[in-house]
Amino acid sequence: MHNKVELTPEAAVRAVMRDILGLSQEQVAEFTAETELFGALPELDSMAVAGLLTELEDRLDIMIEDDEVDGELFETFGNLVAFAEMKVRE
Amino acid sequence: MAPAFVDYEFAGRKELCLCHSTGSPRRVLLVPPLFDEMNRMRKILVDVMHALGSFEISSFLPDLPGTNESLVALEQVSLSDWRQSLQACARQHDISHIASFRAGTLAVAEMEAARHWIFSPVKGATILRTMMRTRVAADRESGLNTSLAELTEQAGAGSLELAGNILGSQLFAQLNAAEIPDMTSQRIVRLESDSKPADSHIAGSALWLRAEPDKDPAMSFAIAQDIAQWMEP
Repeated sequence: MHNKVELTPEAAVRAVMRDILGLSQEQVAEFTAETELFGALPELDSMAVAGLLTELEDRLDIMIEDDEVDGELFETFGNLVAFAEMKVRE
Repeated sequence: MAPAFVDYEFAGRKELCLCHSTGSPRRVLLVPPLFDEMNRMRKILVDVMHALGSFEISSFLPDLPGTNESLVALEQVSLSDWRQSLQACARQHDISHIASFRAGTLAVAEMEAARHWIFSPVKGATILRTMMRTRVAADRESGLNTSLAELTEQAGAGSLELAGNILGSQLFAQLNAAEIPDMTSQRIVRLESDSKPADSHIAGSALWLRAEPDKDPAMSFAIAQDIAQWMEP
């Protein structure tokens, strides 16, 4: 069995966006901290958010509580990555 | 040859099972993912069955009681029922190997003596959390404020509607506690993008997480090829 490779929170967020929203490798590679998400990506609806949060929990071994999820979290790619980094440090 | 429906008996009823028979004694049971992921992976799995046929392997894709064409209500079904139904299906169709996908692995966790090929396994609580979050989002759109904790509590007291599925208390509780099994003879396969421990990796994307079902013939072929190599005597 190959050992687990440590995944940075940013890499995990990119991979989850790609898997859940069906975006290409190139599309997610171009995301910067300022890239707008909710409202700008038609694929990102509330159902996609449900899967995205659980996948982040699973891949980063974190737990996300209801009250930590608000509109601001999905405003930009940078906000989402910063949140993931904060949860991993907890 | 095209796949055809056969059946298997469980709890005094017949359940359907898609079968792609090659007349070979190498017969693999394909255990699908659960809930929405089952629908989103149906095309992938049927393509896997065709590809397995080209390797002279017979494959069987059963309906779990309470899903697809089953006449039983999902609300009446528990994880124990799924486990027993798959054992019945494996016995009745002389299955030699088991390949399970995602949370489908949880339904064959008790078949210790069998040889298991396992694709991207996931624990039950993970599947339930996504379904509960979908319910929370739908509730919010109708002005209701629900929490994951409240839904978990409700599931303890009775049936719970989650993302269009009505789950009984027992199914919810059993899934919530179901961890990825560690079996005597197992081969774990994951996507290349997945960093969790695995025996082998396959190129592709996690189509079971998408909003709409999709196909990926290359991924289906790679899955069948890995299963075929693993099944070689």
